[in-house]
Amino acid sequence: MRLLRLALGLAGIALGVVAYNVQVDNLGPATTSTRSLAIVAVAWAFLLAGLIAWARRPENWLGPLMTAAGFALLLRQLRYSHDPLAFTVFFALSELSYALVAHSVLAYPSGRVTGRAERALVKAGYASMFLLPLAVLLFYDGSERLRFLDPTPRESLLLVSGNMELALRLQQVFVVFVWGVLATLFIALILRRLARATPRARRILAPLLLAAIVFALRAVPEVVFTFVERPPALLYEYLFWWQIAGFIALPLALLAGMLRSRLARGNVSELVLELDRTPPQGVRDALARTLGDPTLEVAFWLPERREFVDDRGRIVTLPRDGADRAVTRLDHEGEPVAAIVHDATLADEPELLQASGAAARLALENARLHAETRAQLAKVQESRVRIVQAADDERRRIERDLHDGAQQRLVALALQLRSAQRQLGAKADPEVDRLLAEAVDELQVAVEELRELARGVHPAILTEEGLAAALESLTSRTPIAVSLDVSEGRLPAQVEATAYFVACEALANVVKHARASQAAVSARRRDGVLVVEVEDDGVGGAHAEEGSGLRGLADRVEALGGRLLVESPPGRGTRVVGEIPCAS
Amino acid sequence: MCDDSGMTWTVLVVDDHPTFRASARRLLELEGFQVVGEAADGESALRLARELEPGLVLLDVGLPDRSGFEVAEELADARTRVVLISSRAQSDLGRRVRESGALGFISKEQLSGEALLALLDRAA
Repeated sequence: MRLLRLALGLAGIALGVVAYNVQVDNLGPATTSTRSLAIVAVAWAFLLAGLIAWARRPENWLGPLMTAAGFALLLRQLRYSHDPLAFTVFFALSELSYALVAHSVLAYPSGRVTGRAERALVKAGYASMFLLPLAVLLFYDGSERLRFLDPTPRESLLLVSGNMELALRLQQVFVVFVWGVLATLFIALILRRLARATPRARRILAPLLLAAIVFALRAVPEVVFTFVERPPALLYEYLFWWQIAGFIALPLALLAGMLRSRLARGNVSELVLELDRTPPQGVRDALARTLGDPTLEVAFWLPERREFVDDRGRIVTLPRDGADRAVTRLDHEGEPVAAIVHDATLADEPELLQASGAAARLALENARLHAETRAQLAKVQESRVRIVQAADDERRRIERDLHDGAQQRLVALALQLRSAQRQLGAKADPEVDRLLAEAVDELQVAVEELRELARGVHPAILTEEGLAAALESLTSRTPIAVSLDVSEGRLPAQVEATAYFVACEALANVVKHARASQAAVSARRRDGVLVVEVEDDGVGGAHAEEGSGLRGLADRVEALGGRLLVESPPGRGTRVVGEIPCAS
Repeated sequence: MCDDSGMTWTVLVVDDHPTFRASARRLLELEGFQVVGEAADGESALRLARELEPGLVLLDVGLPDRSGFEVAEELADARTRVVLISSRAQSDLGRRVRESGALGFISKEQLSGEALLALLDRAA
């Protein structure tokens, strides 16, 4: 295959020399040697880019396609020959070179033309660019000058019936159909593809924009000059050189774009060095840079749980391969290690993905262990939240039971005893009346104690009216002056309950131990965190670790992802601060 | 319906606990009130209040179908005197007692004709 490519390269050089000479010898003053050389240079650019692409990516058809386009562009020049056979053959085949160029562009970068419209356009291009020049040859009798040729007559070996008017009309049809209709569709399809592409794909597809411009540069003058007089020579000269520059740049841009991944593969060795000093959380970023895909995500396989998680231990559901996203699984010794979710364009470069994955394997293993630990921590955290939730539910249930059961019975009993008192009235034995009155008083005390107990378990006002009302009720019952500053509005039940119990425990400590004359309670939302704060002017010297009350509350606050701080310098009061994340 | 000069007060008792309703009826009737009806939920309370036009509605704040505070607001809008009751303390119920339009609040265990008359006198 290497020899074949070498032979093709040498043949291309030789053919270029022939093509140059044929044009210069046969067009005479209608052309210049510089222009002939420029056209050969375009063909050689395609040939060179095609052969390099073919050598680097032999499995990709883009290389052979560009090589064929290069040859076709050289052979195209042989139509200028006055030899009847050469003229007939190469005039008939001349326009196929543009069909091959367009085919190469539409097949970029995978080497395959995807999309129904694109395939139809390629077929229409080949058909029209072969059949229409062929049809011209059926009627060309040399009595008039053909477009693109000098006035010297040539002989068509395919002449059926001399009809120059028809031959010229067919050339017009060719220009309008190929350079008007097909070129417009070609540009539209490129623009559509660019518009629909992901950001990474758009970078790779950038050479297509150049192709669109090049074809537009060619198509517009072709169509316009078919119907209006030729422009001044200077303008025509400018147009020619712009076209040449574009057509030389196009194969080189296609080649560069195609070899991007080759260059990126060079980054893999840099990746190895980089990963050496990258913490587990940085592996994703390093891979994203190497693969040029900022949207890349890494999911780690946890064998025990048989599921993928992200670097924070959260479960990840891998997407199905689609137009935008694709998944590459990285294995080691038959066991999955990780999965890379990436831009679908990377799926065309499996070697690069696997090479990067292999280079990052150790780091990925490391990151996987890290993710596993995070996943376990996340599970523990979830479990702590569930425990708090279950405890709160239980507290609410007990409070309801107390309210609906014992409390109601005691209330009914108090009313019945009071009814007995009224029934007996003045006739009652004073001793019985006194006993009944005492029983009613005792029952009222019992109801109040039960109420206090229920409040401690879970205040109903917290569930029904929210944190602000519950704190208002709490501070109003506290036997020292307490100022209150609290945000209105509801928060998740666990957050409200935790904040309430922090305030409740802290205020109970103020009353019991602080010897304070006043206290202040506040509960304010700041940046997604509820900060509940209780401050007093008492003796200080409290510690969160002492006693189970504040320690238990610290556990509860931490279970919700928050923290509890106690500042209590001796003689300077106490400040208890609970910071509780609240999503709403 | 009611009386400001020695006539009998008519009362509608609204509570979802039948034992409480029976106890309250007996006590109030012994203390000179006339209990004209009983309701176990908010909707029945509103209907009976329209039908019976009691002088006073004794209304529990916790009803099975809707909040007693809402019922109190509707009754107060219809110029019906409402006294809220609960086995909880008023401080456990927040500001909604004040905002409900009721004449006042009595903890259930402290219910008596005397306590009711004191509230009615204060409101008069």
